[in-house]
Formats: sequence, C-alpha cells, structure tokens
Amino acid sequence: MSMKIFKKILMLLAVLMMVVTPFAAITADTTSSSSSADTAKTTDDSLKKVKEKGTLVVGLSADYPPYEFTTKQDGKTEYVGIDIQIAKKFAKDLGVKLVIKNMNFDSLLVALETGKIDTIISAMNPTEERRKSVDFSNIYYSGGKYIVINKKDKSKYTSKESFKGQTVGAQNGTLEYNLIKQQFPGATVKGLAKLNNLIIALQSGKVSGVLMEEPTAKAYVQNNPNLYAFNSKVSVDVNETGAAMAFPKGATALTQAANKTIADIKKQDLLDKEYVPEAAKYMKQSSKHNTMASYWTYFAKGIEYTLIITVVSVLIGFVLGIILALMRLGHNKLLHGLAVAYIEFIRGTPLMVQVMFVYFGIGAVIQSLPALAAGIIAVSLNSGAYVAEVIRSGIESIAIGQTEAARSLGMSQKQTYQYVVIPQAIKNIWPALGNEFITLIKESSIVSVIGVGDLMYQTQLVQSATYKGVAPLAITMVIYFVLTFTLSKGLNYFEGKMKHE
Amino acid sequence: MSNKKMIEVQNLQKKFGDNLVLKDISESVEQGQVICVIGPSGSGKSTFLRCLNVLERPTDGKVIFEGKDLTHISEKELDSLREKMGMVFQGFNLFPNMSVLENIKLAPMKVKNVDEVQAEKTAKELLAKVGLADKANQFPDSLSGGQKQRVAIARALAMDPEVMLFDEPTSALDPEMVGEVLKVMRDLADSGMTMVVVTHEMGFAKEVADQIWFMADGYVQEVGTPEEVFEHPTSERAKDFLAKIL
Repeated sequence: MSMKIFKKILMLLAVLMMVVTPFAAITADTTSSSSSADTAKTTDDSLKKVKEKGTLVVGLSADYPPYEFTTKQDGKTEYVGIDIQIAKKFAKDLGVKLVIKNMNFDSLLVALETGKIDTIISAMNPTEERRKSVDFSNIYYSGGKYIVINKKDKSKYTSKESFKGQTVGAQNGTLEYNLIKQQFPGATVKGLAKLNNLIIALQSGKVSGVLMEEPTAKAYVQNNPNLYAFNSKVSVDVNETGAAMAFPKGATALTQAANKTIADIKKQDLLDKEYVPEAAKYMKQSSKHNTMASYWTYFAKGIEYTLIITVVSVLIGFVLGIILALMRLGHNKLLHGLAVAYIEFIRGTPLMVQVMFVYFGIGAVIQSLPALAAGIIAVSLNSGAYVAEVIRSGIESIAIGQTEAARSLGMSQKQTYQYVVIPQAIKNIWPALGNEFITLIKESSIVSVIGVGDLMYQTQLVQSATYKGVAPLAITMVIYFVLTFTLSKGLNYFEGKMKHE
Repeated sequence: MSNKKMIEVQNLQKKFGDNLVLKDISESVEQGQVICVIGPSGSGKSTFLRCLNVLERPTDGKVIFEGKDLTHISEKELDSLREKMGMVFQGFNLFPNMSVLENIKLAPMKVKNVDEVQAEKTAKELLAKVGLADKANQFPDSLSGGQKQRVAIARALAMDPEVMLFDEPTSALDPEMVGEVLKVMRDLADSGMTMVVVTHEMGFAKEVADQIWFMADGYVQEVGTPEEVFEHPTSERAKDFLAKIL
C-alpha cells in the first residue's frame, strides 16, 4: 500500500517538474527581452545601416491576398500584392535593393526584434500590444470591414442588423471575431482558423456571412461569381485596424523615411490607382492557373518536409524510447518513476498541444528556435513515449527462462540483455516500430499549426492560392495514403524476410 | 570419495509472499556426489534447487559455495560463482535465435573471454559427447525435445562447472526421449561430476544417485542411500509417497 502511494507521489513530482520548468524559463525571459529593447534605443543608425548594406530586408507572410501572396510567372513563384508594391517603392526611395523574406505571420515580430529583417510590411495592424515591442509607421492603408455573402442572398442581407438569428463567420482570434460578438445584434459567431474554410462554410450554408477586411473580401468576390460583399459599417478604431509598417524599437530614422514614402503614396493616390488594381489582376491570373498540376511544387515540398520530420523524429524517438524503456524496466525506483510519469503524461496529452507547447514554451526561451525544429522536437518527444512502450512490451515478451538460462551461465544482467534478450526482442519490436513510423507520417500533419511547411501546411497554401477548398485536400489524402501504403508494404516485406532467417 | 563439502545449505528459508515454501533446510553436497531430490509436486524441490545458485533469492539462511555465502555477496561475485554451477532447466531454455554451436559458445566467449577458435573446439567436443555432433549448425527449432535438452547440458558443461544442477530435466519430454537424456546424465555422473538432480525418474535415482533427498512440506524429510530411502523409508510422508509411485 505505502509503495503505491510512494509511486503516485513520485509521478506527481515528475509531472510537476516537467510543467514548471518551462514556465520558470518564460518568466525569466520577459525580463531579458525588455533589456534588449533598451539597448536598441541608445543608438539610431537604422537608416544609415540599411543604406550601407544596400538592401532593405522586408519580412512578410505571403498568404494574405491582396496584400501579399504568390503568383506563378513563367513557372517561377513571385511575390505580389499591395504590400510588395509599397516595399518596392520604399526600397526605391531609399535607393537600395529589396529583399523579401517570406515567413509565418507570428514569426515576423521575433524576426524583427532579432535583426533578421529590417521591417515588416505585412498588413500588420499597429495594435497597442504590438506597439510595446516595435515602432510603427503611419497607417498606409485602412479599409473597412466587409461582409461576404452568397450572391443569391443579396436582397436578404443588407446590413449587419439583418443577420439577427443567423450565424456569421470570422477567423479565430481576429478583430472581426470580436466585432461580430459586439456589433451584430442577435447574431451567433462561428470561428474557424482559415479564411478558405470559412468561404467553404459560407457556400455550404453553414454560415450566412463572413466578416473580413475590405480588400480581402473584394478579392474573394472578384474570383468567385457566386459571392457578394458589402460594407458592414461596423465602427472600428483606425489605429487598431489600419495597416502599417513595423520597425525595431528606436529605429526612428528608418520609420521617418517610411512615413515620407507613405505620404508620397497617399499624395499620388497610388494605392487606388495602381496597387489595388494590380493586385486584383494577379489574383485573377492566379485563379486562371487554378489547375492543381501547376502547384505540384507545393506538394513536393510538403512531402519533403513531412518525410524529414517523420524520419528524424522516428530516429530520435527510437533512441529516447530505448532509454525510457530501460529506465522503466530497471530497478532504480527514481528512474522508473520518472519514466512512467513521462510516458503516461505524454500519452495522456494531445500531440497538437505538445507541438504548440514546445514551439511557444521552449520557443520563448530560445527565440531563434525555428518552427521546423520545434515540430521535430515535439514529435520526437511524443514518439519516444510510444516507442518506449513498444520496446518494453517487446522485452517483456521474452520468456523469463531465457534470462535465467543466461544468468545461470554466469552472464551479468547487462550481458544477458545485450546478447540474449535484446536481439530476440528486436524481432518482436520491429513490426510495432514500423507501425509507429506510419502513424507518425500521418500525425506529423499537426505541425502545420505552428507553420512548419509540411504536406498539410502546403495544402493550406494551395487552398488559399487557388480559392479551392476540397481539391487540394483530396490530393493530399491520396499522397498520404500512397506514402503510408508503400511504407507498410515495404515493412511487411522486411518482416517476412526476418521471419525466414 | 573425498569428503570435501561443495555446497553447504544452512537453515534455508524461502517465502513467496505469505507462503512459506522452504521452511528450514540444512544439508550439504560433497564433491563428486550425485544427489537426487525426490518428493511430491509442490514440495519445494525446484525452489530449493534454484536457491542453490540464487536464481531464487532465499528469504533467510545461507548457501555456502567455495567458502562464500551466496546470499550475502555482490552481484558481480555472484555472477562469477554462478559460472561454476551449471544448470539445466525443465524447459531447456535454449536461445532460439542462435544455432546450436552459438548457444554453447556464447557464455565461454562473453564471460570467460575464451577466443572463438577454442570455444568452437570445446563446443564441438561437447556436442560429440552428447551425441549431437551433426547438429552443430541447426537452430533449436528444428531439434526434438531430447536433442534440445542434450544441447542444454552441453551448453552448461561448456563453462566447465564444478557442479551441475538439474531441474526436472526429463519432465517436459516425450517418453521415448527420456532415455537419451538420462544416458548423457549417467555418463556425466560416471565421469565424477558433482550433481544435484530434481527428478521424478525413480529408476534413474535408484541407479545413479549416491544419496536420495526426500522433500515434502518445505523440509528435507529423509536423507539416505537409494536403498535406505526406497526400501526402508522411515517417515510417514516418504512411505506414503513411495507407495503411490512404485
């Protein structure tokens, strides 16, 4: 009885340790990041620096038409959109070359703070929260919030008040989501992660309208004759919603130069006259190139990343699994307790949460931790727990008589494991390990939530580029199936060979 | 026959949970002696044998071998003393992933660091001795029960032990295979090997044993020559047991 309680306490302790350590690190981190902002303030050679190196490195997240998106020109992927035009003009005004770095939206601020990019031009709203860590230029574009509806409902929905009793969709975690809650009387809000999926929901009647930014709404309408958009006339604070360029704190000279460029754009009315129509043109073009075949490079890249993540994670997970299994099987009570706690905890929590925890938790300590590395770490840590159980059951399946025979011959415990138990256990473990590999190919799709360019992520890119929801998913399903089916056939072949030996 | 004590057991006790299987055993095995342990099922014979090389750790008492109490020495010392106590199991326990030759060579090479050439030579000699020279490269799967047990004996002998422990070596065999295994054991006894054999083969016990130990209810109830124990048992338990089986 007391043994049981002791074990439980041990497990609790281990779990606590695992949970608390990263938090302690995060708290420590907040102090260090504020001090780094102080050092940036002391010098402002920002403009001089850009001019000296002759390049303006602009960070953006090219998945947000019409602000920034990709198009295919002569088989090459090119960045286009309103923000690209502004970046070009800004670089030209400074007399330097433009370099574009495409990354995940949520990595942009980190990239700016760590000096990987000079500025963010990515339809970023200068919110109060963001102002704490970066400086913003003046607002260069500020559209209203539009509601996209099915064209056939044009006479039914004419204002935000007409959605009473209806469901209206918006992207999760956006201003729009809150606006529906606050300013659409009697309407229910439905949140989804991706705009593409919201449009699919609209077309299949699951929501009556989708609230989004004006240019984005116009882009969807332009590319889909069955949709219609109108101004929702919600009241918003322009400081929270307009788009502005972001600069490192204290880069006053560069910010002022940007403001000059913005003033010039406004004076010439370049946005309405050139940039927006041009972006619309590209969007039309890309919707003409809507065949899936022209996006094969996306899928190829996705397969590459998915395989890299899976293979590396399986290898690390295997090593970790062996260590955990030996800890669990060993006589040391502390190590045993730690292994049990780890295995139970990891198997008792969703991989998705683990992936996000590693990326945002460990990522807060090591800011330069790329999403790919975070994804691999999380998937490996997860896989290790499952592999440990596979190995443990493989070892426990070896009859006790084998161990006794070896020990009676004078072999030590280590020798017994090394020469007698493990070689036999591997034969039992191999098929289960193969299954784990196949499972990981599928489960690794979860890393797309932190923006790792795996197959699922690429699929989402193709969805936004082609305005098609289902076709890319169908292709991805087939690819996943081909991958797992081929692998399982291959593993069966080797398994058969091993049995014959 | 010399009187040198090979193994000395003092007040041996073994509990499994609350179940006292061996109550109080004090006996000794002399060098060159062949001892057959007989008795009804569940009397603790196998447990007693497994306590001799501490595969089963006694709850109390001493097992003295080569002047050392096996119950109170380090794991490392125990390993090096176990080398000298060969053991043959009811279920053979051959390593199924290794050939017959590899089964025999493994321990000499890994534990005694014998080089492969020498280990192979010894293994082949031992296989010839148990009549299986032609099976060297077979895997255990393809052998009959009797052949497996003879390989197991050869494997134990390869460590050149001082004493051999047999745990019901013929109980899992088809009747027609018992003879071939007993023959090998008889040859071994004739060569002067010290042996402790837990067995139900009364014919073998009568013929080969120097001493019969009759066990029941966690005690060694009677000790004597085969003649004494089989012909003139003194305890009621022994009389009862022998009446049933003979």
